[in-house]
Order: sequence, then structure tokens, then C-alpha cells
Amino acid sequence: MTDLAIKLESVTKRYRYFTLDNIDLDVPAGEIMGLIGPNGAGKSTTIRILLGLVHQDSGNVRVLGHRMPAEQIEAKWNIGFASEDMRLYDAMTLGWHMNFMRSLYPKWDEKYAQLLLKRFCLNAEQKIKGLSHGQRVKSMLLLVLARCPRLLVLDEPTTGLDPVARHEILKELTAVMNDEGRSILFSSHNTQDVEQISDRITFIDRGRIIDSMDKETYLDRWRRLRLEVPAGIELHALPGIIDIRQDGRLAVATSNDFVPDLANAYENTGARVQSIENMTLEEIFVANVERSREEVEA
Amino acid sequence: MDSAFVISQSDKRPIYLQIMEQIKRRIAVGDWPEGHALPSIRQLAVDLQISVITVKRAYLELEREGVIVTQQGRGSRVAPDPDLGLRIHEEELQKHLEHAARLSALLGLKPRELASRLREASDTIAEKETS
Amino acid sequence: MSRSLVRHLILKDFQMHRTSIVFSIVAGVTGLAILQLKGLPGLLGIIGFFTTLIVLGSMIPNTSILNERKGRNLAFLMSLPISMAEYTTAKVLAALGMFMIPWLVLVGTALSLILGRSDIPHGIIPVTLILVTAPVVGFCVMIAVALVAETEAWVMTATIAVNVAYSFCWVLIVSNAELRGGLGSPTPIWNPTALTVLGSEFAAIAVILAITFYLQSRKKDFV
Repeated sequence: MTDLAIKLESVTKRYRYFTLDNIDLDVPAGEIMGLIGPNGAGKSTTIRILLGLVHQDSGNVRVLGHRMPAEQIEAKWNIGFASEDMRLYDAMTLGWHMNFMRSLYPKWDEKYAQLLLKRFCLNAEQKIKGLSHGQRVKSMLLLVLARCPRLLVLDEPTTGLDPVARHEILKELTAVMNDEGRSILFSSHNTQDVEQISDRITFIDRGRIIDSMDKETYLDRWRRLRLEVPAGIELHALPGIIDIRQDGRLAVATSNDFVPDLANAYENTGARVQSIENMTLEEIFVANVERSREEVEA
Repeated sequence: MDSAFVISQSDKRPIYLQIMEQIKRRIAVGDWPEGHALPSIRQLAVDLQISVITVKRAYLELEREGVIVTQQGRGSRVAPDPDLGLRIHEEELQKHLEHAARLSALLGLKPRELASRLREASDTIAEKETS
Repeated sequence: MSRSLVRHLILKDFQMHRTSIVFSIVAGVTGLAILQLKGLPGLLGIIGFFTTLIVLGSMIPNTSILNERKGRNLAFLMSLPISMAEYTTAKVLAALGMFMIPWLVLVGTALSLILGRSDIPHGIIPVTLILVTAPVVGFCVMIAVALVAETEAWVMTATIAVNVAYSFCWVLIVSNAELRGGLGSPTPIWNPTALTVLGSEFAAIAVILAITFYLQSRKKDFV
């Protein structure tokens, strides 16, 4: 149990217009888990459940070995949570928040906090209401990073940030991995960030987990094949191909379970494989969601 | 660590391949001689701001190719193989030749035509180097 | 560990609302000063005094409780290592504190005024106490509604209901024969009616707070 920073088992939560359905999720300690999915897929709900902010209707939740929500107080001492729709107190300064956290958390690292102030170009004397969106996000992340928590749970940590700020955040997040006992779970629309720093990726859509596995394996399974088809022939989707589009003699096939034999299989049908391309996480994202939507409509 | 490892976003190849290539280049030019200790997987991941698993994969593939050796608990080192630089360039040449062959097939060129094109290119390079 | 966190949160609320606390004390004392004048200004003073208490009572649930939820500070708060019970405790204690400090100052000042002056019969003390405790009861209702119902609509409804109830109670109390009878006496008369009324006010406070804690503990979602 203690090898897993997070373990969700058959977790279900029903709302009026949305159901989180039988979620299984494992995050081993020392890893970064990237959670991706369209808006409304259930990312925020999942995150809230694992923080004990929302009680699941059924299923088991264990975070850092603690059962949630029963042991949420103990768990939250070691969890740093920052979310896009969370707000600090507008009327107070960043410095006030830092003092508040420092007096509360024994593991607060003041030197690191000061370093982050500089790196993030933040001013402790400034009131929160005077900060831009990017500065607010950075402020929240500062407060959460300087506590050095064992688990970081971040909901859209780089959304809405300029490229330099994003780069800085990613730098601090990956630096957390210097300590093998610390873990991160973050959800993001920035597929590039997820692709870059995640050890594992979980794909969620419409309240269900579509995929969850280590990133390199996942990226390796997806390929785009560009094919040249003899005149008059219409290509079909072979096993392992989830999408095939043909326009005249050119076709593009998308595979989510690629093996080299697949290319041979197409060659055997008479088509010529022009190229086999890797896909970015963003392209995989779109292909996945389109496929799952089609399945629902069918 | 002032790292000259740079991951290119416009490079469409997977990150682990880019890392492998940059490591191989350092070995090929002699910056990393045989026996040189590679940065720890975690350290490189932190320095490059990428996931540990990607670096792990790069190191794994490099070990599979015999470019590096990994000892349990002691990290990875450049493999003792004096011809490594040569071998790396050999691999690259082979890859390029196969790619050229594929392209010329697409264009409908015969092998003889391909060979003469190759000779032309080789001459052009030789001219540039002497001038 | 958690107790210090509750303390931190209470102090935080005090710190954030200290202006209102000071302001209400000033306003209330001013009202008390004015009410010593005879005639209409005196009446205004009384109204001002009670209005201060009532306004403070409806402001605090809004600024301290509702706004935190609206302003999405609640997610930040609940990410701290506290449970729903501790959050409720911190909010209730902070709100009570923020209200009772001005209340004590004002009531204390009022009582010392009454006791200090020879031309005011001390018999008004029981009724005065009953009347100034009413806003405390009303305040507890407001905190309860703000915490449990969470929405502005409910809090507004409660504000209106409580204010109507005040007027109602005033009429009842002032027209009650036994209570009126003791008004003119030079010493305070604590007859059974007075004691019952005051006692039920305290009981109401206890019950309202108990219900609040119970209902809060049954909530499954914090945000």
C-alpha cells in the first residue's frame, strides 16, 4: 500500500448530469502522473475525491496510505493542492499567505520560498487582488511548493501562463522528482507539458478512464501510417487501426496498438506504406476522444 | 549542471530518441570517452525538465545497443568500445541510405539512377571541402 | 496539531475583519452617547444602537462565511489539513467572537450607563438584557443558515425572517404585563417571566448551534 501514492479502486460518484463511473487509478510513489481529458470529463471531480473534498458514493480511495475521506486530515498534512478555480484571499498580500503557511506547516522551506519569489518574479507585498492570472497561479504554486509536500495534486498548473512562466513551473515540478519519495498528479490541457514531464498518463472522458499506462509505452502504441493505395481500391481498417481516411489514392490510418507487422499487413493488401509517423499527445488526445464519441453515437 | 542537452520541440521524433542521439554525438566527437560516467537518470530528467521514465528508456535502449553499460547501483558509463564513434556513424549512414532507397522507389528511380545521383552528391561535397 | 489550525483560522478571520469590529464598536458607542439626549435624538440613539448590532449580525455571516465560498476561498481552506467539523468550529467561533466582542463592549457600556445614572430606574435592566440578547439569537440563526444552506438566497431570506421576528419580539416583550411591571422599579426585578424569556434565548442559541454542527457533519461534499 505504501508503494502507491494514490490508489483509487472502483470509485463512483453520481451527480445529476454526470457520473464518475468505476474509476481505477494507481500512482506509484516517486512518479508524475498526468491526467488528461476533455472539459467535463471528470478530472476535477476525481481530484476532489482524492483530496477528500468530495465523498465518493462507492469505492476505495487511499492517498499516501490514508483512507479518504475518513483520514483526510492526516493525508492533507502531506498533500499540496492547487487548483485553477481556487482563490487566495483577495484582500491579503502574498506575504500574508506565506506567513500563514509557514506558521502552519513544519516543513515550510523559507529559503526555497524566497528563491521561488525571485524566480517567479513575484512581490510578497502585493495584494492578491492586484495580481494577474499568471501571477495568481504562480503564487498558489509557490505556497504549495515551499511546503515540500510528499504529494502534489495540481489542477491545471500551467493553464493560462505565458511560455516563460510555464517553463519555470515545469522546472520546479520536475525538480521535485529529485526526491524519490515525492509524487505529483496533475491535470492539464497542455498536452505538451503532460507529454514532457509525465511518467504515466491517464486519459479520462465522460466519467470513464479510457487509458492509463506509462507514457513511453502509450506513445509507442500510437502511429499514423501514410499509405499509397492502388487505383480503385478502398482500404479497410485492419485490427489495431482505429481510424482510416482515404482520399483518392492516398490514405491515412491511425493505429492505437501499433506493431511493425501492421505495416506489412497493409503492404500485403497492395498498398504502399509511405511513412510511419509518431503522434504527439495532442494528436492522440483528439483521435481518442473522437473515437470514443463515435462509439457512443453508434 | 550547465547542460548543452536541448530537446527540440519541432523535432518530431520522440524525446527519448533525441536524448539517445545527443548522447551518441557526444561519444562520437570524443567529449564523452569510454568509461565516462553518464549523469544519473534522475539528474538528467531534472536538468532537462522531462520525465524520469523517458530518460530511463533512452538509457535502456543505449544499453541494448551496447553504447553504454549500466551497473546496478553504480549508474551508467560509456561502453568500452574504441570503434563506437565509427559504429554510430555507420548506423547513421545505413539509415540515410535506406531512406534514400525508399524515396527513390517512390519517385520511380532505378537503382542505377540512384547510384549516379549518389555519385553526383558525393562529388559536390568533395568540391565544397576542397574549395 | 489540528487545534492550532482551528486557532489559526479564527485569528485569520479576526485579522481580516478587524475594521468592521472596530467600526461597529464606534458606531454603537456613538449611538449610546446620542441616546442620552432627550427626545427624538435619544430615540435615534436607541435605534442606532440596536441597528448596529443587527447590521453587524447580518454582515458577518456574509463576509466571513458566504464570501469565502463565493470567492472560492473555500477550496483553499479545505486543502488545509482540517475536517468539516473543524472548519465549522472555526467559522462558528470566529463569527461569534467577531460579534460578541462589539456586543460585550456595547452592552457593557449600556449597562454601566444605566447603573451609573440615578435618573434611570434599574428595573429596565432585565428587559434591556432580553432585548440585547435577541440579536445574538438572530445572529446564530444567520451563521447557521450561511454555513448549512450556503447560498445568498437563503441568507437573505433568513435576514428578512429574523428582522421581522425582532420587531415581533419587541412588541411581545414590551406589551407583556409582567415585564412592563418591573420597568419603573429602582432595582431590577427578576420575575419568572423575565427569567424564562432570557433562559429560552440562551437555550435557543445552544440548540441552533448544535443543529448547525449536526447538519454540517452530514454533508458529503465540501466544495
